[in-house]
This record gives sequence, C-alpha cells and structure tokens, in this order.
Amino acid sequence: MRELDLFTDFSKKAGVEIDPMDIKIDDTTLRDGEQTAGVVFANDEKIHIAKMLDKVGVHQIESGIPAMGGDEKDAIKKIAGLGLNCSVLAWNRPVKSDIEASVECGVDAVALSISSSDIHIEHKLRKSREWVLETMKSGVDFAKSHNLYVSVNAEDASRSDMEFLLQFARTARDAGADRLRYCDTLGILDPFETFMRVKNIIDIIGIEMEMHTHNDFGMAIANAIAGIKAGAIYVNTTINGLGERAGNAAFEELVMALKYIEGVDMGFNTTLFRNLSEYVARASNRVLPTWKPIVGGNLFVYESENKISGIMADPLTYELFRETDVGLKREYVLGKYSGINSTIHKLETLGYKISREEANELANIIRSKTVASKRALFDSEIIDTYKEFKGSSKKEKAGTGRKK
Amino acid sequence: MTKSKKDRVINIIDTTLRNGEQTAGVVFSKHEKIRIAKMLDEIGIPEIEIGTPVLGDVEKDIIRDMLKLGLKAKLYAYCNADAGEIEAAADLGVKNIVINISTSDIHIKEIYKQNRTWVVNILREAMRTARQKDLSFIVSAEDATRTDLEFLLKVITLAKKKGAGRFRICDTVSKFDPFRTFMNINTISSSVSLPLEVYNHNDFGMATANGMAAIRGGAAGLVVSVGGLGDGTGNAAMEEIVMALRYLENLEIGIETSKFREIAEYVAKASARAIPIWKAIVGTNVFAHESGIHADGVIKNPKNYEVFNPAEVGLTRQLVVGKHSGSHTILHKFKEYDIELTDKEANDILAMARAMSVDLKRPLFDKELMYVYKEYESKKKDKPDLDESGE
Repeated sequence: MRELDLFTDFSKKAGVEIDPMDIKIDDTTLRDGEQTAGVVFANDEKIHIAKMLDKVGVHQIESGIPAMGGDEKDAIKKIAGLGLNCSVLAWNRPVKSDIEASVECGVDAVALSISSSDIHIEHKLRKSREWVLETMKSGVDFAKSHNLYVSVNAEDASRSDMEFLLQFARTARDAGADRLRYCDTLGILDPFETFMRVKNIIDIIGIEMEMHTHNDFGMAIANAIAGIKAGAIYVNTTINGLGERAGNAAFEELVMALKYIEGVDMGFNTTLFRNLSEYVARASNRVLPTWKPIVGGNLFVYESENKISGIMADPLTYELFRETDVGLKREYVLGKYSGINSTIHKLETLGYKISREEANELANIIRSKTVASKRALFDSEIIDTYKEFKGSSKKEKAGTGRKK
Repeated sequence: MTKSKKDRVINIIDTTLRNGEQTAGVVFSKHEKIRIAKMLDEIGIPEIEIGTPVLGDVEKDIIRDMLKLGLKAKLYAYCNADAGEIEAAADLGVKNIVINISTSDIHIKEIYKQNRTWVVNILREAMRTARQKDLSFIVSAEDATRTDLEFLLKVITLAKKKGAGRFRICDTVSKFDPFRTFMNINTISSSVSLPLEVYNHNDFGMATANGMAAIRGGAAGLVVSVGGLGDGTGNAAMEEIVMALRYLENLEIGIETSKFREIAEYVAKASARAIPIWKAIVGTNVFAHESGIHADGVIKNPKNYEVFNPAEVGLTRQLVVGKHSGSHTILHKFKEYDIELTDKEANDILAMARAMSVDLKRPLFDKELMYVYKEYESKKKDKPDLDESGE
C-alpha cells in the first residue's frame, strides 16, 4: 500500500478542481480542543469563542458533549440559543441517552462517534464489528427521528480494515447519515495514504466526508488538504491546533494554506486570526509560540541581513502574505545576523541617518554585543550603542586633530 | 524510484546551529554550540551545518573549535556563492561547505538586481574556488520552488558537472504542499543524476509532510533542525522526520531516538524558547491522557491511542484527572496508590474531581485527588448509610 510506484501518475489523480464554496469548516475547539489534557474553558469563555468563530465565518461549531451534563450541557444550550449564523453540533456516542441530551440542548446537528478499527473494537469496546454497525445504525435512526443533521464519526479510521470501513460508510449512508467523519485518531497517515483512503470511500460509497486529523507526526494540515483533494468537503479544525496530544489541524493554518498554496479562498475574515488565536491561547492557558505558523508573534520579525535586504526591495521575496492579513506587525531587529542594509534601515527608523561605512562598523559592534548577551538588542540598547560609537569615533578624530 | 526500500539510505543534515541560530532573536554561545553538536553526533546524525564564516571573528572562532572536536558527523560551513567567503571557510580548516545561491527570478531581480546569466557565472566561479581549495560541496538553490524548472535543471546540471556532491532544493517561502513537492522532486530526480536534498519551511504547518513527500519523490536527504528551530515558522523538525520515516514509511536510518526529549530541551533552553507541551514527538502532553475514552483505552492497551512507547523518545505517560476523566482513570490512579475502589466509589469521586477541575479551570494534581478521596471518606463516615441509600 505504501509503495512508491503508486504515485507515479499522481498528478492526474490529484488534479481535482476545488470550488471554495464547497469547502466547510467545522471547528471543534470547544470539544476536541477542550478535551486536551489540562485544558478547561469556563462557560463564558466557551460562549465568547463560539461568537468569535461565528464572526470569523466558520460553518459549524462542535460545541461539546451534552452527555457530560452539568456545566458542559449548560454551555451547549446557551451556544445553541445564541442565534448564530453557523450550525451548532454536539458530540455523542451513538446511544439514545447521549442523543436525547443533545436534543435537550437544542443543537441542530450531532456527531455520532464510534470506533471502526479492530484494535479499538477488540481492546477498547470489547465488542464485534457487527455490534459496531448495529449500534451506529440505531444511533443514526434515533437522531434522524429527531430531525438532526447527522455526522457519523469513524474513530481510528486510519487503522481500520478498508473493507470494513467501506461497509461502515455504506451502513451510515443507508441509515441516512449526512456525512462521514474520517478520524485519523492517532495522526498516523501521510498525505498520500490519506488521499487514497478518502478517495476510495468517496468513489465507492459516495457519502459526504469530513477530515479529522491529528498532528502527532506533524502532518495534520497536509492530511486535511489531502482529504480535500480527494473530495472531502468538511474539515474539523481547532484554533491554534488545540487538541489532544500534539493537537489537531489548526484552523488558521488550514484556511491560509488553502488560500495561498491551493488557490482556494474561502472568504474568511483573516485579519481577526491573531485575536482569535490569542484569546484561545489564554483561555486554554497555553502560550502562543512566537514561531506558530500564521499567527506567531515573531513571524514578521526579521534579523538576517539577506532577508531584510530582500524584503525592503519587495516583501514578496520572502513572504506569500502580508502581516496585516492576519493581524500581525512587522519588525526588524538587530543581532548576530545583521549587516549593513539592516543596520542602516533600523537606525533610520530610530531617527538616525548613518553612512554605509558607519553601518558596517556598527554592525560589527552589535554582533559582538548580541553574542555576549545571547539575544537581539532592544531599541534603547541600539541607540546607546550608536551614541557610544559616535562619541568614540568623534573623540578619535578630535584626538588625531590635537596631535597635528 | 526503482530502488526497493531496503536499499534506500536517507541522509539527514541538521541545521540547528546555522539556520536555527539565524532565527530572529536566537543566539547560541560557543559552549552551547559545541554541546549541541556533540549531542547530535552522539545520537548518530550523519551531517551537521555548524555555522556561517562570513558573520565574522566570533563565529569563525566557534567553527574552528568545533572542527577540533573529532566528531563522527560530517561538518559543513555555510557560504554564499562568493569566492571570498569560500576561501575564508577553507582557511578555517573546513572540509565541506554549502554554497547558497537564489535561483528564482524574483530573488535575482529584487535581491541581486541581476539576471540568470550572472547567477550561473557567479555559481561557476564559486564552485571553481571550492574545487581549488579541495572542498567537497553542496549547491543550495534558495527559493527553488519559485524557480523556473528549466532554469533550475540547468543549474543542477552545471552543479553536477562541476563536482557538487548534492543539490539542495529550498522551499524558502513554503510554496509547496506535499503533492507538488512529490511531483517536483520526482520530476527533477528522474531528469538529473545528482542526489537531491530538500529544505522545508513550516509557514503553513507542512514542513514535515513536505519532507516526507520529497523522500517519496526520490530525494536522497532532508535538511532538519531540532524542534524545527529556524527563521520565521522554522524548518522540518529533526525528531518528527526521524519518527515519521520510522513509523509512516518504515525507513530506519539508525538514529538513537531515546535522547530526543533531552536534546529538544537543551536546544529549547539555549534558544530561550520553551518546548510547547503539545510539540509533536517531544512535547510532554503527547503522552498525557485525560478524556475518559482515551484514558480508558490506554489503560486497556496503550496501542489503542499510542503509536510508539513514550520511552522511545525519552518521555513518560501520564494519566490526568480533570473535567473529561472517566471512572476507569480514577480506579487506575488509586490502584497506583494501593487503594482499591469500588465502581460506586470511583463514580462518586469522579463527580467531585470533575466539579473541582471545572472550578479550578485545570486538571487536579495527584495530591488534590487524594484530598478529594479523604473528603469523600470522611463524608461516608459521617453518613454510613450513604452507600445503600443511593441507587
């Protein structure tokens, strides 16, 4: 299955045109995001995040697990009652009581999750394949009798026997499920295998599909995109990729990758991305890494001479989108990798005009100061360094003058 | 592509000390650079980029000392396609270099303010200097993924003819997804015989996926850094690539992985960047399980939710008690403390622990869980009929 020659004619297979209007985001920050070990949102935070997601333009919000009861159920009820533009979905096991709890919350959609891999069926559920199909089918029947939109989630789909997965998908389709969620629960697929498995299901069963990917091997975004290329139309994302273990496909990364790499602009208000990411980072008590793709605070901060020279000539030399597109700021810092151009430019922004010769000498001084302090210099340190440098070169000149 | 998997040798060249340090705000001390190089060497990384001589005396001094360490790994200095820079590297005693040059029209026009002919000439000149100095070299094409393919092939052919050992394709602006990476590398590697290595950035979260796609496309190696440390969003993370090769591609390259967490921690401290707890492969949360479903699954059999054993990368498994915990986690946790709970007790304690977790907005420490247990026990003593009066 993993043989290389399978992909020699890949270009033909992967050349599907994607209509941006067809692709939909189902964000699960409030469910799989909160399920992360150590993360708990307050109900007010959940409501605020739901409102922000709606404002930014997601199509569906996976709001939580009503069967947990208590605060969780209250939050879902409140979110469902907010009158949002997007659909509000709740996560269920395919059992009557879970679905009833969802109905009580007033959501319009449910996800019915059950494992489809033998390893989960044997070791976790301790049941049979037949039991899985029956349980799933009766869950769909019951949910449909309440007029809910139904997503059937094939948990651990990636380790499921393909024949059984097809049978699972067929059963879901015939029971009237609206879509099948493909869960790469352990994050073990690569984009090529994802493409083949998802395409197989779509070609043979013809059910609408959703991608739920994990980042254990750093492939969450690539696998989600592979699923879309294969014909999946929903992606289950979380803000910042918040999720169990290494997390899920990050909403902001997926949207920007679709826009700038695949040419699929879904029309999201991307300028809100940084705000949204900061809010979720704080609510989940996790610092947003400065190097986080799309929204990290350091992404438009430059130190290296090569890059700064290029960007000053034309930002497109090193950037595919602008800092303002995602609500970030541009900054140039001076450090070990600085050179003449970056030093001249930086000093200019600080209000000092210097020559190329001066910049060369100053860059040398700044480099050794950086190495000594093991970090880039603050603006005030740069100004002090410049003033010292000016003072000493004046003194030198004055000194030589006196000698004459 | 015709080679079977078992014959394939995948090269890894680590650039933590070069492009990793080039990250805005990151500076390693000499001591740290040497320590990192030794650690990489110890776990079996075959090639290491150690620095950029053109940065001046401080960097040159570090490079000189690193060359004396007697490491098994092949050590490279990084140079622009400039005769002076290459001579300076050779003077330090460097035996291997990377010669970098931009090949995309936008870089040639905006950065060099030149044309393609100038690029070819300056590269030819640089390679001549390298040969004269008896250096083995890799030619690196910056912004290769936005370079006209015909021109790129011309440059690669020239590099091959003039003695380059490998050719580096840089996806400088993260322009490609894995499918385009695969097609691009597959096309190039079937047109030229020079081994390729691929350098990825993580701007859209696809550095590792693109690296793996390049391997599928026929690349001979990848450029990586510890924790993905690098300019902007960083590069393909060494630990992710090694584990993805092992578990997704069944390609074993003989790296000692049990030191991954330790190395990641060292580089994190030296670069003043904390490792996110959710960092793939080496984050401490990767083997932490809270939700009832997952924890239950892991207790029954770790394979339910884990692909490899945490010890394989130097981590440990944790079961966390919080809002999403189930009664199996409680039973299991208390068993660790030699306390056997009944199902009813576990359920009651779970309800109290969940409420406490929501109130605190975090999971409970083990000690807090014991307080919950003591509180529950004392309540039971006050009302000895509590057990029976329930259901």
